[in-house]
Order: sequence, then structure tokens, then C-alpha cells
Amino acid sequence: MKFTPARICQFIFLALFLVLFVQTEYRGRDEINAAVNAFFRVDPLVLFSYLLAAKSWNWLLLPALLMVMATLLLGRFFCGWICPLGTLLDLVTSKIRKSAPIMALKGNTKYWLLLPLLSASLFNLNLSGLLDPIAILLRALTFLLYPVIGLAARGGWVGLYSAIGERRDAVAPTYNLIRDNLLPFRDTIYPLAFFSAAVLIGIIVLERFETRNWCRNLCPLGTLLGWLGRFSPFSRVPTTTCGDCGKCRELCPTSFDRDVLIKEECILCMDCQRDCPHSRISFLPALKLKGNGPLLPERRLLLGGMAGGLLLALPTRFRPPERQSRLLRPPGVRDEDDFLKKCVRCGECMKVCLKNALYPAAYQAGLEGIYTPLVIPRLGYCEYNCTLCGQVCPTGAIPSLQVEVKRREVIGKAVFDKNHCLPFAGKIDCIVCEEHCPIPEKAIRSREVQVMGLDGLVKTVKEPYLVEEICNGCGICENVCPLETKAGIEVFAVKNRTPIPLQSAGHELY
Amino acid sequence: MDRRTFIKATGTAVLLAPVLVRETLAAREPSLVAVAEGTDHAATTRKAINAVGGMKRFVKAGDVVVVKPNMGWDRSSEFAANTNPLVVRAVVEECLAAGAKKVKVFDYTCNDSRRCYVNSGIEGALKGMKNVECKQIEPERFKKTTLNGQFLKEWDLYDEALSANVYINVPVAKHHGLSKLTLGLKNVMGIMGGNRGYIHRNLDVALADVNSHVKTHLTIIDATRILTAHGPQGGNIADVKVLNKVIASTDTVAADAFATTLFGLKPIDIPVTVAAYKRGLGEMNLDKIKIVKA
Repeated sequence: MKFTPARICQFIFLALFLVLFVQTEYRGRDEINAAVNAFFRVDPLVLFSYLLAAKSWNWLLLPALLMVMATLLLGRFFCGWICPLGTLLDLVTSKIRKSAPIMALKGNTKYWLLLPLLSASLFNLNLSGLLDPIAILLRALTFLLYPVIGLAARGGWVGLYSAIGERRDAVAPTYNLIRDNLLPFRDTIYPLAFFSAAVLIGIIVLERFETRNWCRNLCPLGTLLGWLGRFSPFSRVPTTTCGDCGKCRELCPTSFDRDVLIKEECILCMDCQRDCPHSRISFLPALKLKGNGPLLPERRLLLGGMAGGLLLALPTRFRPPERQSRLLRPPGVRDEDDFLKKCVRCGECMKVCLKNALYPAAYQAGLEGIYTPLVIPRLGYCEYNCTLCGQVCPTGAIPSLQVEVKRREVIGKAVFDKNHCLPFAGKIDCIVCEEHCPIPEKAIRSREVQVMGLDGLVKTVKEPYLVEEICNGCGICENVCPLETKAGIEVFAVKNRTPIPLQSAGHELY
Repeated sequence: MDRRTFIKATGTAVLLAPVLVRETLAAREPSLVAVAEGTDHAATTRKAINAVGGMKRFVKAGDVVVVKPNMGWDRSSEFAANTNPLVVRAVVEECLAAGAKKVKVFDYTCNDSRRCYVNSGIEGALKGMKNVECKQIEPERFKKTTLNGQFLKEWDLYDEALSANVYINVPVAKHHGLSKLTLGLKNVMGIMGGNRGYIHRNLDVALADVNSHVKTHLTIIDATRILTAHGPQGGNIADVKVLNKVIASTDTVAADAFATTLFGLKPIDIPVTVAAYKRGLGEMNLDKIKIVKA
């Protein structure tokens, strides 16, 4: 492997990606200044699908707009210089023996992916995150690889304790250093873990057929960047292989198997320039801006793409109604449809969530909601003073809120199940839920009542009740309910998520 | 005397024995509760400790000491949901000055442990101190412990709390929805693992069960500010009352009994205190407790 400027740049960005990934975690401060969302902020696919779906502007997307302009100026450099998935493929591809390219992927396959995706966005179905290369990489890391690393490290650490007991303390400082800076704080198993990893592995397996197979033939972000890059004044000269040499064919990772430079596919790695035996190659601004043929290879692509998007957008909207009741979104999300238009499904909120309350929806939110974050209170609750999910959301689908505001945002409302809840069903004291309710005025309260115990004797029991007006649905009550499996109190989704009133307003209630 | 009468008499005697023994012991040496007051909370804490004999009475050179504050909630110090970091630091310093080899400070928190350690101010207050450990609970260290209590036969307890030479209980005095108040006796929940909510169904007895197993050498109740309502985590500064008091005693029940009066309640009103008293864990009758102003 040669350390060309492009290569070095790739490694820097891959390292940055990994560092930011690890940093996307609570490390003792309420604010996360740098998170892996930076990569989505510069992602033009995220930009276009957001603009088409939400039909509104968002300043969080400004870096992506700058990336669009840079691509218009320079070409498809992102893929050869920045994209961490591309770098990963470059790292493994030399170890994978190649057979012949898959012809079915040639032609316009990539446009048949990109255009329906963008057009579906226009019809309010924003699925671009499903095929966005950075999201694919991030999800595989978040849902499978990182938890596995964490579980393995912790498993070893616990194993050491059962083997040597307190003497383990001798090596604790080393372990603590790794734990505090590298490992996930909590061991979490995510749904869709294997599926997420399988997509990434599938992309790597595609390298069996040709170098950068995914990037050239499928990646919607790459296709979009390539299309934008057509307008760049910079071009490689000469634009074809030379009759007497043809070395470009083996040097080029993407385009030269057809003996002519396909500008949309050139990722500007400049390996050809560097290694040309005759030093004939240069990347120069072309004197005249001549187009590379028609804007789209076929006219039916546009119509077909639109139709495909529409066909995709409508049927996927089916949602099983019984699952709606537990469709709990992160704090600050007030409108389900608006949320679905903006969510990239990148998984960052789930990675950063302090108490691991957030999990990717597999089917709960219907097909259109796959990978969107769901609060599952029995597994983790929304920490009252934490605002991390909003901070790392790249598109503001989960708004970034001040903690005073976030505390009042409604996720859902708790409901007692008197058939399970101990004071009602068993006539015994409990009120662990009241104890944990973080609302200063207590959304869960209790009153002493005379009841007949199960033994037939009259006794006094504290019965809990909910003050719905000030419940923000954080789910800690359901989380800590000491009943096994099903809780005696559960949070249900509500349409009206008007924030609860300011502190002290709850004093007069009940 | 027939057999029935004999059994009755023996039974009564056995039942009464702990009370009788306690009465005789109490007669000899009444429980001492020191109450210090002052706005310099570190100095006040030291005064209280000195009034019960000074830390050297409990900590010998080379001892491993556990200082167990309440830092269960993600609330900053002024809300009185967690022990005052100044009090904790003063206790830790006294332990070190008495020759402790290592002082361990921890709590099994209710909210996210990282946030609790940071926002309680306790982790920060102890930062950089030599031979002081303020680390988070490691679940593998909970050991199934036989209690043979009236309600709990066995429970997971934290091994570092059990194996320490000296165990110092440093709760904050505050309101609690179920037990009315949470003081020294209830603070022991921070070394209990497992499904802790389970014990709420018989809290008074369960806490007496655990407290009879865990030897507490010294209880220091932080009443520099107390939470008077919406406990145990509060969150509204209007519920907090500043008292600038620190209470110390070797008798947790007596310390709790006195702290109860700060809320305008009587020890008899607090079932946890009553259950522990009945179990013979300490004295709750205020007229039998020697209260010294430090």
C-alpha cells in the first residue's frame, strides 16, 4: 500500500470517524462537542432527502450544502478522500480475490436506487439513511461490533474477578483507563444487530467481483456525488487510456475498465497520475466546460424513479395499530410524521442514550420506520437531566433542547395496570415508581387507603395514582417497577405531546 | 407448672431476652448522639466526629474504610437528595488522618451512576485525594449473603462493604414517600444489589434484616440541608430546609431517632426506626439517648 496524499487523508478521516464514534457517549459532561454526527452533517444524500421530505431548510445542514458546492467544483473527491466505508473497502479489497464483475449491476442500477429513494422522500418517505454508506457503517458498529467488544472486555474482566477476586484490583487502573475511554459504559444488545452487520458484510463480499463494487454500482451517496461531480471544471487529461500503455486500467480503482474515464466514477485518488510510467497525466481545469453527455443516461429513469418512489412511499405507510400504543419516540419529538421525514436512522441517538432507553424499531413502526429510535422503558428510561440524543442527532429530527425544556417534553403518559400493580393486586405497599418519579412535584403520588388484604383483614396501604398533566413519560416508573417481566405501570404513546407545565404549576393538582 | 405453662414462659423469656439485655446494656452506657451546628460544613462534621470520640476511635492505622454516602440521584447538592460533598470529604479526610490505608466511597445509584457521581459533587470533591477510591459499582462484586432475617433470608450485598475494616454510614436526612424519612438505616440499600424495589413490600423488616447483618461502626447524618417533601429525590428548592447540622453516633437507630425530630416528627412515627429498635439494633427513645451539642 502506498501512502499517497489521498490515502493519508482517508486514514485521517477513518481515524476521526472512529474517535468521534467512541466520543459519542456520556463522559462526565452534559455536552458533547464533537460527535460522529459531523459525518452526516456533510452528507449531501442526507441534505437532499431532508429537503425533499421535510420541504424546509435547516441550518444544521449547511456543511452538507458546502460539500455539494465543493463537489460541483472539484468532483467526487469525498469517496476517494473521506468516506470511511470507502477506506474500509480499500483496506480489505487487496485481500479479496476478484472474479468477473457482476454485469447485472452495471448500467443504470445505481440510478434505479438513487432516484426512487429521492422521489420517495418527496412523497414523505425518507429512507435514504437505509442505504447511506456512513449510516450503514455506523449501524454495524453501533448495533453489533461495539457491543460485542464491550461484552467481551467486560466478560473477561468479570471472569478475572471470579478467578482471582479482589487481587484483580492490582490491574484495575489499566482496565479503568480502557473502560473510561474506549469501551461502551453499559452492555446492550440491540435488535437488528445481525441484519445491520450483514449489510456491511454484504458490501465487503461484493469486493469479490470488482474493486469498489458498492461505490461504483450501488452507493446512492456516491451516485449523487458523481452526478454532481460531472459539473466540475477539473478533469483528468488524457480522458482515455493511451494506445501504447493502458496501465491506468490496473491502477484505477473505479473507472478505467472501459478504457475511457467515466467522470462520475472518478474518485480523484490520483493514483494514475502518480504512477503513470510516462508522466502524461494531469488533473486540470478544462478549458471549456463540456458536458459528459445527457444529464441522465435514460429519460425513463426520471419517470421510473418518480413512479418507484411513489410506489415505495405509499404501501410502506401501513402500521399495525396495536403497536402504535407503545410507539414512544425520544424526548422533543412531537409529531410522528415530521420525525419520520427527518430521521436518518443513523443510530447515533441509540448509541449515546445514557440509560440505553433507545432501540432501533424493527417492525414496531411499520416498514417505513425501520431503524428509527424507540424508547423501550422496561429496558431503559429517559434520564431526566440528560439531553444527549438531541445533541447528536444530525438533522434535528430529535431537537437539541436546553435541559429545562427537555424535562418538560412529553414522550408518553404512564398508566397503572391495577391487575399487576402490587398495592392494587396484592394489597401490599410498594410505590417504587413514586420514589423514582423525577418530576419535582411527583407525577406519581400515593394516598393511604383502608383496604381488605388478601387475608381478609382490613389494613392500610399506599395506593399510587398518576397526575397525568405533569407526567412526561420518561419511563423510569416502568423501568424500576419491581414486578418481574411485565410492569404494573407502563408508558403509552399519546398524540398530544404538549410540554408539561413549568415547575410548581403542579402543586395545586389533586 | 405444666408443660404448656413452661413453654409459654420460656417462649416469653426468649422473646423478651433481647429487650432485657438491651435494657441492661442501655442502663450502663446510653447511646450517645452528637449534634454539631455551623455553616462551615467540613468543620461542623469534624466537631460531630470528635464529640463521639474522634475518628481514631474507629479507624486504626492500615484499615480499609468504606464511607457510604447517599449519592443515588442525579441532582446537584443544594437539592438535598444526596449527601453534602463537603461532609463526605471531611469524613474521608478524618479517616486518612486516623491512618486509613484506603478509603472507598461508593453508592449503588438509582439514576445513571455516572451522572450521580458527577452531579452529586462527591466524585469532584474527592478528586485527586491519595488512597481514596470513588468508583462505580461493579455488579460482579455483589455476593449472595445469608441474612436469615424475618423477611429476607438472603440478599446480594456488596463485597467491598462487607470486607472493609470500618464501615461509615453517611446518609443525608430527607423525606421519603414510603418510609416517611430516609436516614441512616435506609441508606444501607446502597450496598444492596438485585431487585431492590422488591423489599419495599416489607421495607421496615427488610431493612432491619440487612442492618443486623452489616456492622456500621459510625453513622454521620448530613442535615446541613434536609429535604422535607417530594423525597427521596426532590428537585424543588422550596422543599429544602437549611439546618447546618451534622449528627454523629455509633448507634444508627439513635442517630435516626434524633434526626427525625428535625422534621417535626417522633421516632415512633417512622416504622423503619421502630422495626430496628424492636430488633435490638439501637435505642430510639429520645429520653434514653444522651444528646450532646458539639
